[in-house]
Amino acid sequence: MLEKIFSDEIYNILSSKVNIKSINEIRMRVNKPIVLLIGAQRTFLGLHGSTSNIKEAIFASKIMIEDLIFRASECSIYSVNEQIKKGFIVTPGGIRLGLGGDLIEENGQIKTMTNFSSVNIRIPHEIKNCSLSAFDYILSENHINNTLVISPPGAGKTTFLRDFIVQLSERNYAYNVLVLDERGELDIGTDGCLGNFADKIAFASKKVGFENGIRSLSPNLIVTDELGRDEDALAVQYAINCGVSILASAHSDSIESFIKKSSFQKLIEDKAFQRYVLLSMRNGPGTIEGVYNENFSRLRL
Amino acid sequence: MKYILLATLAAVCVFIGFVFSRKYRRRARFYQALLYLCQKFDIEINYSRERLKNIFANLDEKHKNDLQGIEKNFISFLDGTKPLEKATLFEGVTFLKEDEKDLIFTFFKSLGRSDVDSQTKEIKNFQARFESISSTVNNENKKYGSLSIKLGIVAGLLLVVVFI
Repeated sequence: MLEKIFSDEIYNILSSKVNIKSINEIRMRVNKPIVLLIGAQRTFLGLHGSTSNIKEAIFASKIMIEDLIFRASECSIYSVNEQIKKGFIVTPGGIRLGLGGDLIEENGQIKTMTNFSSVNIRIPHEIKNCSLSAFDYILSENHINNTLVISPPGAGKTTFLRDFIVQLSERNYAYNVLVLDERGELDIGTDGCLGNFADKIAFASKKVGFENGIRSLSPNLIVTDELGRDEDALAVQYAINCGVSILASAHSDSIESFIKKSSFQKLIEDKAFQRYVLLSMRNGPGTIEGVYNENFSRLRL
Repeated sequence: MKYILLATLAAVCVFIGFVFSRKYRRRARFYQALLYLCQKFDIEINYSRERLKNIFANLDEKHKNDLQGIEKNFISFLDGTKPLEKATLFEGVTFLKEDEKDLIFTFFKSLGRSDVDSQTKEIKNFQARFESISSTVNNENKKYGSLSIKLGIVAGLLLVVVFI
């Protein structure tokens, strides 16, 4: 998919002089060097591949960034304007482009973003079996425990969720899974990336997605990414009250800092989640640091 | 032998008349197809947010033919196989004037570059300009299109009479 969004010049360097599969993130800022995140290491993109020397780095231009965004929208900016308003575009292959620029507001509502000045390209990776060592803690006695996957950004939350859905399917647990893909990152469009028993609602808010999905698709499990707002917590509470299990993720770098987050207080007090999985980038994205129960006691790892 | 030559001469004159009239017909049909395209964009962009490539791919055969390959060249640009340049967009198109090509090229260049509201306004602006040209072109077609064939027939007959 990268070949469709980058110019031939940049793509040729990425594909021939850098191990393209190892890139997690590419950052472009107007008149600044292009930065690659490979594993946990940041380097510049130069004409001869990745480099730590800024003098050898390729600098991104405004035209380069605008062209990239135009291509990522499949040459149809108007078709992704709702995403642009939220600050990102997701390509059909699940590559997410976070956007920086000027937000245009009219009557208190965001109309669009123009004058793009930076773009953060996050490339999804499949890490086969990355959820496996936590699998038996989440699924116990044929019951899926409500589980929250916690990690800092870029540490593999989405990859974990995607892999768990696939593991369920591969083990023939025919649970009806509803994937609420608010940012279009969970479904990366590859064959079998969501297994055989998943339905998907994309680009809807948690509130709308949970309500509509539960009513229309009768899921046993809802999988969703990045809880964080108060209304997300309410949506989770609503699903649990309806008897639907939840597998979700949230940003935090440790259990201790997660416990302090105000938007999760009610869910923590109600013991809404029976399992917490903490991820880090210690051994690369998707490293499971621990599985905890509803009282935050470490169960394993 | 003389009559065969005269018949051939008359046929050639009618054919030349037909060639001239075809140019006018093509222009008229082309602008009608362009107007149809604008209306289709307006609907698809505002309601289904359909991508440009799908809009072009889903055009019916009649309108595709009337656009004389411009839509194919534009799809090649959307696929990334050709750059968007005036020369490549109008490859094989000979019946448009240079200023018309400039206008149509600007129209195609503007597609997909902005949000729904701006894109819709832009398309409406172009549509108004295409309507004005289309009306002129239609009048030319009515006036000169049939005239060319008639002149061809008359010229053919005249030559036959002169040589007999």
